[in-house]
Amino acid sequence: MDSPSLQPLLLFVQSLISGILVGGVYALIGIGLTIIFGVMRIINFAHGDIMMIGMYLTFNLFTLAGVDPFVSIAVCIPVMFLFGGLLQKLFINRILNALPQNQILLTIGLGLIMSNTMMLIYTSDYKILTTDYSSSSFSLMGISISQPLAISFIITAVITAVLYWFLMKTDMGQAIRATAQDRQAAQLMGINVKRMSIIAFGLGAALAGTAGALISPTYYIFPQIGSTFTLKAFVITVLGGMGSVIGATLGGILIGIAESLGAVYISSGWKEVLVYVIFLLVLLFKPSGLLGKSRM
Amino acid sequence: MSAILELKHVSKFFGGLAANSDISFAMEPGMIKGLIGPNGAGKTTLFNCITGYYPPSRGEIFFKGHPITGLQPDRVCRLGMARTWQKVRPLVKMTVLDNVMVGALCRTNSLAKARNIAMEQLSVVGMEQKTHFIAGGLPIGERKKLEMARVLATKPELLLLDEVMGGLNPAESEEIIRLILEIKARGITQMVIEHDMKAIMRISDRIVVLNSGEKLAEGTPAEIVANQEVVDAYLGESHA
Amino acid sequence: MSIFGEIIGTIRRVSPLPLLTFLAVTGALLLFPPLVDSPYALHIMILIFLSVIMGESWNILGGYTGQYSVGHAAYFGAGAYTTMILMQFREVPPWYGMLAGIAVSILTALIIGSICFRLRGPYFVLASIAATEILRLTALNLKDFTNGAEGILATDIPPLQFGSFLVTDFTTKDPFYYIGLVFALAVIAVTWIVQHSKIGYCFQAIREDQDAAHSLGINPSLYKNLSLAISAAFTSLAGSFYAVYIGFIDPTTVLSLDMSVQIVLICIIGGIGTIFGPVVGALVLVPLSEALRSNIITQGLITAGLVNEDSPVGQFLKENLAHAHVLIYGILVVVVILFMPDGVLGFLRKILTGKRRKAA
Repeated sequence: MDSPSLQPLLLFVQSLISGILVGGVYALIGIGLTIIFGVMRIINFAHGDIMMIGMYLTFNLFTLAGVDPFVSIAVCIPVMFLFGGLLQKLFINRILNALPQNQILLTIGLGLIMSNTMMLIYTSDYKILTTDYSSSSFSLMGISISQPLAISFIITAVITAVLYWFLMKTDMGQAIRATAQDRQAAQLMGINVKRMSIIAFGLGAALAGTAGALISPTYYIFPQIGSTFTLKAFVITVLGGMGSVIGATLGGILIGIAESLGAVYISSGWKEVLVYVIFLLVLLFKPSGLLGKSRM
Repeated sequence: MSAILELKHVSKFFGGLAANSDISFAMEPGMIKGLIGPNGAGKTTLFNCITGYYPPSRGEIFFKGHPITGLQPDRVCRLGMARTWQKVRPLVKMTVLDNVMVGALCRTNSLAKARNIAMEQLSVVGMEQKTHFIAGGLPIGERKKLEMARVLATKPELLLLDEVMGGLNPAESEEIIRLILEIKARGITQMVIEHDMKAIMRISDRIVVLNSGEKLAEGTPAEIVANQEVVDAYLGESHA
Repeated sequence: MSIFGEIIGTIRRVSPLPLLTFLAVTGALLLFPPLVDSPYALHIMILIFLSVIMGESWNILGGYTGQYSVGHAAYFGAGAYTTMILMQFREVPPWYGMLAGIAVSILTALIIGSICFRLRGPYFVLASIAATEILRLTALNLKDFTNGAEGILATDIPPLQFGSFLVTDFTTKDPFYYIGLVFALAVIAVTWIVQHSKIGYCFQAIREDQDAAHSLGINPSLYKNLSLAISAAFTSLAGSFYAVYIGFIDPTTVLSLDMSVQIVLICIIGGIGTIFGPVVGALVLVPLSEALRSNIITQGLITAGLVNEDSPVGQFLKENLAHAHVLIYGILVVVVILFMPDGVLGFLRKILTGKRRKAA
């Protein structure tokens, strides 16, 4: 990371760009969490673990069938969607009216089951998914850009755009947004709220799983990786305002930049501390998120 | 006689919206003051300002001659002013007795003394048979009475009652009216928000009318009924 | 709820039976080490005591005061690190380290509380996690002070000596057993006192409805901080005990989110807001996860002839089940939340009263 020969400005732009690229994937995780929160008012503590399952899925497709990680999202999205929908149908739908604390604990429990089941199957060894482009990079105006990060950023952008279109322009998207705005009113309008919840959780899980697929060429894969990303997803959604998709997108990129700059200018060990400090400051002074409008 | 509660030009803004604007009045000890006005007139907001839940944006509030503007609700309560909630707030997982004891513990550190105070107040509201019931399981009429017992246990000099008859049937309302008059007989000053006009005219010594956050009128029940402005703004809608 | 229930309640209040049972159990526990001469049994009992201390401590804040901290690893870690650093690098006997740990924990609690208590509900939970993560990362990064990710290994435990009088040495498991027992009893006693005092009423009123409590003369911020301080002090005690007993700590064990979750689960599984909930939780969790960890379950399945030792399934279970003792935590919490929202203790109580009502 820190090469002293690099000019200060170049170093800044370089880390800024890599921050934005990583932030795109963070945004995807954050959007998933924020959709689930928006529709169900439940904070999904298993979010990072769902992402971890996406990583293992990609890893298996790669090692067993030779599917490229970026191609594997075509499998990841439907599989993780079904997985998320199933979680909603079997577990979350039963506790929609329970105490918020119990909802949190249920998702924590589900997360523990996921990570420990994966540990049973794959042991806790770190797995590495090495593609021929894993560590390759290209140069753009003197700035070196990691190839897998760039590809994943483009895919993220496309998925986010499609998601916006889905939520804004389709009937089902509008039904989901109506449910998020006012569950009871939506029900009175004849919207099948339970079904929308299943779809929302499915969407959230699909986004998390896709993020897992996208980062699998650049991160170690191990069963316990989830909790770090769950926490990161909280930070992102709170930054953007709980329930706001645009907010989560911006929040993700902001956290990507903060980590990247923090790693260069403070130290890679302290960069995460910076993220949590920002998080607490936002919670204290701007609890509705940086964009201001919260639906809580 | 000096006022037990005095409001001087109290205003409360939410964003640009004035929920209360420039409200002044005083309350004499031992009296019942009715606070009426259409929905959204700012009655509950005024209660929240007086009891410390919101600091007023402007103006001053005096209790027994001392300024209490901006004091926290617990301090206000310990000074001798207690309030009930429009939507009752029982401590649902605790028993009836424990609920009232929480109020009594405002004045004592001893559980035994608190239990005695609580039993006393529960018999005032006629719930001494239900002490070991879980508060969350009570019907609405008893929840309202429980809340009255709980605030009485804090030994208040001034009680603010926010729609204690809301959602009750006529017989239950009659019980509450009797209770309010009994509390008055014990010398406790009361301010009462109520929608039931007949009831409020019966129990109040004086009435303050709020409309759109402003004080529209103040006077005896007879004066209020005769006030054309009040009739237009408020009474008209229910008597029409 | 009936007059019948009321009578039972009153009888229970005056009946000396629970007290006698409590004393009998305590007596039996005191006689346990000399009678059962098995280090492994002692080890399990010590772990149960540790879990009881952790669960009861969290219960004061989470169960009685309704503040669901998912960051209690902060206080566990503060106790563990303070004791360990003083012991290993300064040769301070762990007793003093434990007291220092409590001081550090209460200080940490007041700082974390001043941030987190401004928030409610899920935001409080998230803030408590974030604050603890900051502590974990700090311990990871302050390598000169904490040895970073490598952790601290206790090479020997300085005994507490007054002149020539040896108060404790830690060469066998017995002292740990008795110390753990005393600590566990102490935290149960403190919980009992809290529940039967004004403080307990204020805690519970805040749990039920903070605004209503505030209007009844209770200062929520004062009592929430008091509750957190008591809770943090005992959690720190558990952390110190753990550090000395296990002899090794690192940020990923004592300061992790997993540790925080584990502390909450002891309470949730047993039943929150009750004195003996965490005891039940510890009695369920520790033996279960130990059985998995030590492969007793796999051995049992093999000896019962249900699984062939040489079959792929048998091999798989033998190799992997030991690693998955946390899995049981996950399954238990899901089952408890879905089917016994008042915990195992509440569930048993419901079954008992149900039967009683049928009999009546």
